[in-house]
Amino acid sequence: MARPEIDPFAHATVAVQDVHVRYRVPSTDAAERRRGANFVKRVGRTVFGNDPKVLVRALSGISFVAKSGEQIGLVGQNGSGKSTLLRIIAGLENPAKGRVLAESTPVLIGVNAALVPELSGEQNIRLGCLAMGLTPEQAEEAVPDVTQLAGLGKSIYLPMKTYSSGMGARLRFAIATAANPHILLIDEALATGDAAFRERSEARMQRLRQGAGTVFLVSHAAQTIEETCTRAIWLNHGRLVLDGPAQDVALRYRKWAWAVAKEKPEEAKQIIETAFSEREQTYVQVEESVQPRLYTPRHVRSSKTAPPRAQGK
Amino acid sequence: MHAMSAPVPTPQPTSSATSADVADLYKEIFTGQQKALEVVSTDRLTQVGARPPISTYLSQLWGRRHFLWAEARAKVTSGTRQTLLGQAWLVINPVLNGLAYYLIFGLILNTSRGIENFLGYLVIGVFLFQFTTQCVTNGAKSIQSGRNLIRAFTFPRASLPISVVLRSILNLIPTLAAMLLIIGLLPEDEDWTAAALLFPVVLTLQVMLATGLALLFARMTTVIPDIAQLLGVGMRIWLYASAVFFSIDRFEEYPWIVGIMEANPMYMVLDAARDCLLYATVPDAGTWIGLGAWAVGSLAIGFLFFWQGEESYGQA
Repeated sequence: MARPEIDPFAHATVAVQDVHVRYRVPSTDAAERRRGANFVKRVGRTVFGNDPKVLVRALSGISFVAKSGEQIGLVGQNGSGKSTLLRIIAGLENPAKGRVLAESTPVLIGVNAALVPELSGEQNIRLGCLAMGLTPEQAEEAVPDVTQLAGLGKSIYLPMKTYSSGMGARLRFAIATAANPHILLIDEALATGDAAFRERSEARMQRLRQGAGTVFLVSHAAQTIEETCTRAIWLNHGRLVLDGPAQDVALRYRKWAWAVAKEKPEEAKQIIETAFSEREQTYVQVEESVQPRLYTPRHVRSSKTAPPRAQGK
Repeated sequence: MHAMSAPVPTPQPTSSATSADVADLYKEIFTGQQKALEVVSTDRLTQVGARPPISTYLSQLWGRRHFLWAEARAKVTSGTRQTLLGQAWLVINPVLNGLAYYLIFGLILNTSRGIENFLGYLVIGVFLFQFTTQCVTNGAKSIQSGRNLIRAFTFPRASLPISVVLRSILNLIPTLAAMLLIIGLLPEDEDWTAAALLFPVVLTLQVMLATGLALLFARMTTVIPDIAQLLGVGMRIWLYASAVFFSIDRFEEYPWIVGIMEANPMYMVLDAARDCLLYATVPDAGTWIGLGAWAVGSLAIGFLFFWQGEESYGQA
């Protein structure tokens, strides 16, 4: 492990290496039903009532390295793979190909994370804190803080299934902020709740961001990305379109989104193709740390026992 | 999962192409790009979502013991919260169950022939078997029903089936109290001897067996969801094969049936429990060895099998 020189990559906190995610999902598309199915298959589908499965590529070949101190915004239209990418980085789902490396366990703050609907909000706070790995004492300490941030009043003692969707989202967001993660993943969290809650949550986010090493933020609003992030990644249909300074990427995305909204496909195509051609393809190479060999296996001949070098120096 | 119905800024070649195919048309543009190389080292970074070695996994699981306990305790009452009698159902339900079996098998079909203290025999069988059924069927569903937690937090996924077993244990406590009360109140006189002290040992072995099965079926149902449908039937067959409400002696003429039934771990559990509580005898060494092997084997295999699939539960 002797490494005299300073590691020039000491600041890398998250490395995403050639990640591919695919789902096989049933489709009711009539064209899909006709395509490539022989008689037996079709009869089988009718008898069992199954729809034909199609392959959806949620992410294809995403690679980048995030450094400490960076705040990275993810932009893209609905279904472009932003939330999937966050779940992959958080380790909640595993990619079909490629891998993600991180300095510490990233924590995902999402509005989709439901808890136990039968339990009261207060019980869910404790449970959520414990699920994130806090000790009972820490969880107990966090309860008043989380309750105050959620701001649900007496409703905090009611079962969560009686909550409105906005109330539920506020509670989930408040619970997720109880942990103080080094790598923070935020999925549209700022867009929930009413004006009063948004102000409180923004203040909390500010505090979290200051404590965190690296922040990933998913938002539809390119303006939020421009204001709060240092770097932005634009995803389109699971592909990385552009990865660069937040100002530049967010501006191009807005132009593209505007062209799509105004139904100017030619213009949108032009923007996205320019972005694609200017993009710098990143290749992430992972150097395995070499474990010192303390023994030589007897069954291996000495000419072949050269210590395994880190691949590709 | 992700509907990709938004306009795609490329001409669609044929109507039957899926959106994934269209996205691939950009491939040509990619080839002429600049390339940058980033090198990271595993000295500082570790793979996210990777399955840890089993020792690390066990210690992570131990670290989440508070979560397990809290989840089990919170959920134990949630099933009966909306009823008028609330937690009393934890006792009433198995008692009614035992009564139903007594009516059908004891009085109508008269399977009680030759069984000393039939009511006690039946109560032990029904109550203890219900615990195994709960563990296995709810354990099999635990990944599916805990999906919201899986999608939100990173924790060792074995927590979910284990939490189901914990919840069943908490459910069992009032049931056991009812069971001992019934046995004590029965007119038949049984001797409370030191053999009754072995009952907790039998129970521990049963818990180990049930935990192993819960872990095993939890992973199996994520691979083939249809197993959850079959499990109900399987558990019923197992119930009938475990001599819950008849004596194994009625198959004396068929030694192979007796052989199969005696190798059945739940029969061993019930037999040992009845020996301890009703008949004041210490279960023989064969039962202990057989039951111990089943308990340790099922726990070890179930745990290893579940741990191997650790990376796959996110997609479930």
